[in-house]
Amino acid sequence: MTRTPDLLPGTLDLLILRTLQRDPLHGWAVSERIQQISEDVLQINQGSLYPALHRLEHQGWIEAEWKVSELGRRAKYYRLTASGRRQLAVEAREWERMANAIGRVMKLA
Amino acid sequence: MTVNDLKLRLRALLRPDRVEQELDEELAFHIERETRKLIDAGMTPREARARAQARFGSTALAADRCRDERGTALVDDTLRDVQYAWRTFAKAPLAAFTIVFTVAVGLGVVAAVFTVLNSLLFRVDQVPGVGEMYSVERTQAADGVPAPPSRAMFDAMRADTHVFTDAYAAVPEIDLHVDGRRMAVTLVTGNFFQVVRVNPVMGRPLMPGDDARSGGNPVMVLSHKGWDRHFNRDPSVLGRTVLVNGAPFEIIGITAAGFRGLEVGGPDLWAPLSQLGQFRPADRGREDSAAVEIVGRLRPDISKDTARAQLAAWDSNRTPAAAPRRSTNLDLLPRRGTIPQPLETVALFAPLFVAFGLILMIGCANVANLLLARGVARQREIGIRLSLGASRRRIVRQLMTESVLLALAAAAGGYLISRLALQGAVHWALQTMPVDIGDVNLGVPAADWRVAVFLVAGAVAATGFFALMPALHATAIDPVRTLRGELVKDARPGRARNALIGVQVFASALLLIGAAIFLRSAIASARFDPGLRTADTVMIDIASEPKRAAMAQAVANDATITAYAAVRPQLLAPLRVAFADAGAGKAPVVFKSVSGPYFDVLGIPIVRGRAFTSWERDQHPVAIVSESVARTLWPGGSGVGETFQLEPDSGVQRHAGFLTINPDAPANDALPQARMLTVVGVARDVPGFRITDVKEAGVFLPTALDVAKTSVVARVQGDPNLARQALLERLTRVDPNMGMIITMRTVARLETFFLEMAFWVSLILGGLALLLTVSGLFSVLSYLVEQRTREIGVRMALGASAHTITRLMLAQTARPVTAGLIAGAALAAALATAALATPAGALISKIVHVTDPVAYLASLGVIVAACLSAAWIPAARAAKLDPMRTLRQE
Repeated sequence: MTRTPDLLPGTLDLLILRTLQRDPLHGWAVSERIQQISEDVLQINQGSLYPALHRLEHQGWIEAEWKVSELGRRAKYYRLTASGRRQLAVEAREWERMANAIGRVMKLA
Repeated sequence: MTVNDLKLRLRALLRPDRVEQELDEELAFHIERETRKLIDAGMTPREARARAQARFGSTALAADRCRDERGTALVDDTLRDVQYAWRTFAKAPLAAFTIVFTVAVGLGVVAAVFTVLNSLLFRVDQVPGVGEMYSVERTQAADGVPAPPSRAMFDAMRADTHVFTDAYAAVPEIDLHVDGRRMAVTLVTGNFFQVVRVNPVMGRPLMPGDDARSGGNPVMVLSHKGWDRHFNRDPSVLGRTVLVNGAPFEIIGITAAGFRGLEVGGPDLWAPLSQLGQFRPADRGREDSAAVEIVGRLRPDISKDTARAQLAAWDSNRTPAAAPRRSTNLDLLPRRGTIPQPLETVALFAPLFVAFGLILMIGCANVANLLLARGVARQREIGIRLSLGASRRRIVRQLMTESVLLALAAAAGGYLISRLALQGAVHWALQTMPVDIGDVNLGVPAADWRVAVFLVAGAVAATGFFALMPALHATAIDPVRTLRGELVKDARPGRARNALIGVQVFASALLLIGAAIFLRSAIASARFDPGLRTADTVMIDIASEPKRAAMAQAVANDATITAYAAVRPQLLAPLRVAFADAGAGKAPVVFKSVSGPYFDVLGIPIVRGRAFTSWERDQHPVAIVSESVARTLWPGGSGVGETFQLEPDSGVQRHAGFLTINPDAPANDALPQARMLTVVGVARDVPGFRITDVKEAGVFLPTALDVAKTSVVARVQGDPNLARQALLERLTRVDPNMGMIITMRTVARLETFFLEMAFWVSLILGGLALLLTVSGLFSVLSYLVEQRTREIGVRMALGASAHTITRLMLAQTARPVTAGLIAGAALAAALATAALATPAGALISKIVHVTDPVAYLASLGVIVAACLSAAWIPAARAAKLDPMRTLRQE
């Protein structure tokens, strides 16, 4: 197994929010989708995924409901709320600025 | 906190089971889904499940972290920890019980002392703003005894100074007969109830007008206690009059239950201070100069030090410079409690606390040992939890929860034990206290919030500290090795365990040596012969001079009295020293005045010459000397017929011993004005009572019962206690205010009584200490044998005999026990030496043999025997081990 690079602190929330932007998913699907899209570069530490989901739920950025899943048993689906969308916009802008800044430093330094 | 968050939290709090279940389900689903994915990728289901689980990591840890995010984790975890702790206790109830019981016993005895201390130092019931109350005390200057504050000084102080918002003066604890009932009276200035800000629940308080010098009112306010004890809570007593020394006093009020002024027990009634002469006829005409205590409320805008400085300045301006010996300092002492609080008072309790604290310490040492042993036993369980992904923090928290639960149980137990101990002690003290010392009114002090705080804090500190160590110790383990069944070696060095044993033995040695010393002294004191006739003699005080003639008459006519004599000062008062000058040499002698029959009544033989006759009385130029004084003044002569002079000793006045029955007793009377005294008789030397400062006098001067300040010594028929009762009844009719009647047996028993009390207290403490020590030793050794089973098996397989093994195990404990014994004995000896160096020590050393080798050896022997027997059982068990079986356990 290749060591997965550690996520930058604070980016996990951003990734989760972004993943949930289109449609509600359960926890496993969130981690799976992040992995696929990042072409296996980002492997979410599963032990931190659920605490993060619960934290976001408490902050009201996502909300949960139990629905029957593709396995035919109940699963907890998370959906982005209105305030979650606003938060996502804020965090995405922040991320953009950060990434740009880091990029500039890397080019010039 | 958002609305949403609140909603979720509430749900988690109200439906914890549901929320927990959802969490489990969510995580389980994740693993299930991952497994499915891996199976689809071609793994066997078993392999897939293992991989999924491995990839996820610890579900328990993830769940824990989710709970943390939920924010209800604290409540949740605590609840679960409590449940878990209950299960643990239920699995090993004996261990839990042992811990609780041990701490409870130790804590209980300390809390009992604290309860008493609390009621003396920190608690005044029902006096609002008691923190502002200070008493004005005169402290001693370099010379002489300070004159206590007087009524005159109080009145001047109120007029001239303004450091107090208000102040009252009081004469507390006057004992007298009111309507034939013995009552404790406190006389107060008329503003007392205004100063303490308490009003009677029935009737009215005393008013300043009641206390006026002329035209004051003979009124009294009953305390709830007095109302209950003497009037059976009869509400119609208001307005009734009772007789105090023949004068009618009206009951005008009754205070609420629990109000006791600023006194320990509280009086039965309060009356105006201007009536002092009526309540204490001895003070009639000197109401202004009689000693009072002054208590005031400090003005809120003045610091204590400023107030003291102002008062001291005022006081030194007031005292005329002509009397430099009166140079005293005023001090203000806080009256948060029932006694003024100089540091000495608190220091007085320190040894008690130390003695009782030792028990607590031993108990805690036991608990620590037990928990350490359990910690090793629980390593496996903790290892499992660690490997399931529980964080170390969670486990420590869980162990802490356990110890807090134990602490609360121990605090509750400690409270019960402290109440029982106090009840028992008070009951026992009342049972054994000689009746004629007076109507002792002991109550069990109530516990309040301070005692509760003390108990809980003590229990948490004791169990917390001693439980946390093992807990931290137990969690620092390697989960894998523990699971494999390899118990981690007890990482705690034997040194700590040995130190614990040593400390326990040390404490028991200290306490038991004390007990043995007191016991030996009590036995010696019971055997001590004062050389005075004690079997059928009593001492009768005559308190009020106006009634003297009537009292003398009553004594002379009483049928139970077969012989009586006058004596001054009364038997228990210390005697003063004078110089006897017979020309050839000067010698300090102690003297007292007696009437003729004195020697006969007390059975002191007159060896040469004669006793006084009935016409020889005060100022007659005759004397009787003891044999030793005769030998000193006239060596070789008989002494009878010789002459000598008595000159006053201008030196320091001797202070009474550690027990003064009546501090107001006339210490001495004037020396005879006759220049030369002729010796008419020589009396046998007798030791006298050791409890007073000075033994029987060396020089006797004549007096008679009609002379002021003389008391009566009488021989009675039949049982002296019954005779005492009958006399008390008959003489009280003559003088309701009469002092006390004490049988000589009681006087002889007084010192024994106090020694016995000290003995029992230290024996109970020492016994507890030894019991705890022995049980601790036993459990530690059993545990050691358990631990070293394999090693012992190897030794035996290699040919060690059972005998050797026993010796080996006993040797384990020999060193700490020996060290503890030596330290205990050394500290006891050091304390004894220190006690002897104090001024009181000189007196005590006559009665208590603090360096009694027999006491030391006996108590050390008891400890060694107890420790040996405690160590023997596990050691013998070790020797019985079957080497083959122990080795097969590999």
